[in-house]
Amino acid sequence: MTADLATAPLLEVAGLHVWFELPGGRELHAVQDVALTLEAGQRVGLVGESGSGKTTTALTIMGLLPSSAAAAGRVAVRGEDLMPGLENGFRSHRWTDIAMVFQGAMNAFNPVRTVGWQIAEPMIAHGTATGSAAKARVAELLELVGIPAAAATRYPHEFSGGMRQRAAIAMALACEPKILLADEPTTALDVMVQAQILDLLTRLCGDLGLALLLVTHDLGVVAQTCDDVAVMYAGEIVERGRIDALFHDAEHPYTRALFAATPDLYGDEPVASIPGSPPDLARPVVGCAYRPRCPLAFAPCVDVRPVLAPVSATTATPPGTQPLTEPLTEPSTEPARHLVACHAASSARAT
Amino acid sequence: MRGSDYLVKRSAFAVITVFVAITINFFLFRVLPGDAVSNLARIPTATPELRHALRVQFGLDKSAWEQYWLYLGQLLHGNLGISFANQQPVRDNLVTALGNTVPMVAIGTVVAIVIGILTGVLSAVRRHTVADHVSTNLAIAFYAFPTQFLGMMLLILFAGLLPSAGMSDPFALGDVSFGSHLADLAKHMVLPAATLALTLYGENTLIVRSAMLETLGEDHVLTARAKGLSRRAIIRKHALRNAMLPTVTMIGLSLGSIVSGAILIEVIFSWPGIGSALYQAVLQRDYPMLQGGFLVITVTVILLNFVADLAYFRLDPRITS
Repeated sequence: MTADLATAPLLEVAGLHVWFELPGGRELHAVQDVALTLEAGQRVGLVGESGSGKTTTALTIMGLLPSSAAAAGRVAVRGEDLMPGLENGFRSHRWTDIAMVFQGAMNAFNPVRTVGWQIAEPMIAHGTATGSAAKARVAELLELVGIPAAAATRYPHEFSGGMRQRAAIAMALACEPKILLADEPTTALDVMVQAQILDLLTRLCGDLGLALLLVTHDLGVVAQTCDDVAVMYAGEIVERGRIDALFHDAEHPYTRALFAATPDLYGDEPVASIPGSPPDLARPVVGCAYRPRCPLAFAPCVDVRPVLAPVSATTATPPGTQPLTEPLTEPSTEPARHLVACHAASSARAT
Repeated sequence: MRGSDYLVKRSAFAVITVFVAITINFFLFRVLPGDAVSNLARIPTATPELRHALRVQFGLDKSAWEQYWLYLGQLLHGNLGISFANQQPVRDNLVTALGNTVPMVAIGTVVAIVIGILTGVLSAVRRHTVADHVSTNLAIAFYAFPTQFLGMMLLILFAGLLPSAGMSDPFALGDVSFGSHLADLAKHMVLPAATLALTLYGENTLIVRSAMLETLGEDHVLTARAKGLSRRAIIRKHALRNAMLPTVTMIGLSLGSIVSGAILIEVIFSWPGIGSALYQAVLQRDYPMLQGGFLVITVTVILLNFVADLAYFRLDPRITS
């Protein structure tokens, strides 16, 4: 796989900032210096609480920010930066390269058009299929996500919640995109349907070689679906790494608190909530954004903003703490997969 | 079938509404103080015998219930009675009046709907631009103008340029070709039709604008953008189509107010239509004429609403009953 090293990543987001203009001339710095890469077949979860900037990040990748927002940074598909062209730059890539499954598929469909019409629409708009070819493709896509092809002539309100979400996925696949953004695709679905949808997404990524960016507040969903996780807090990515690394050896106190706040099915450990609330992003944040809620905060956290830095292999898995678990596959191409932005983590490493 | 079910329900509802309206119309006018006889017999030599004879002739000596049953029975035969005022069949009077009203009102309404939809869509698509501000404020101003005020202002402004009263020039006797008659009629129609169009269009603009803005803010429009559709395609295939739903209903409902608007406009411009006829009938306590006129108005409003319902049914697949 040396060719992959030479070519640019499938999706590269670097130095991404997003500001929302607030009434009264103030600005809300919603996304701050976010960096992400996605390769074919990779499944990455973007986790954070409401208002942490995860959905805004996804919308920026699609170029779908409202007009009250300003963005800076790099969003590149196979090395081609889409940001300078803005609306026009993004439009040709929408759905053909990057498609999106929206939160709450009920409202993602136009209520007065049939589901089949809406799945076929992007194919016709991008000229990938027309007429009977588009019709055949719609049937194929519906079968792929487990909906009978005859349902194409029905309206969104005639579908159940789970079926609508499946149809939304079928619609996202219409133009054979390489990258799939899924924004809370299973919120508002019951647990059984949620599991089916996640299985479907995982299967499709494997079968079609799709790269998946899964935006969610639910760590369980990420653990079930993704290989990598990025944890967002107050508009920044505070920790990034493989799901098992974060699950067992989270370095950032916020990540640890998030895991502690997830109910444990098998243990008796009480669910711990995180005291306090995230900072107001309409004001400049000095130092570490998590400091007011952090139990480990110390002097440098007050005025020095921590940056994402690799967690050294020795710190991530100190000898003796873990049994010998040799990775079965080749180690990933990137040398440092586990990154954290925390003074406490780096000082612990130093001592 | 969802279609036939809906049709039957809506039709039944329309028929019942018409019946209730007929009943209310009948009793409403009999609650008014004064009657036709006291109006007709207002001559010094009117004897009690003459008054009684008139009462019997018009059936006013019978009880209200008896009159009501007689009225319903005759109505089923298509007989709307004889006008107290001019002794002609009410039906003939109404047909003549309607023939004059319908073209004027129809043109005014269609113009109002077309301008309303165009300016409303433009305002929504160009939201917060100068064009939007101008269009929206104009619409609010015209919506707020009382019909009679706007009518009289137009009358004052254009009285010299355009005919200001009636439907035709009573002195145009020389040239009586069809073409010149039509041109004369059109000239006379400009002011009343324009008054109606202006008073209606503002409301339509505001309805269409808000419906468009609401639709443009919906999640499925974001999906359409995400799909890489052009702005034009999004507006045409998604926003416009969906914004038509509330627009059809609200325009359908607002059409009911055309009738009241027509009364004022016809009185101001001396247009010999149903509005003028009703106005005269009220002054003369001409019950059969009033009942007939209101029947026409009621049926028109209910019919227009019925048509709006059918249109809504065609446009929105979610409606099942």
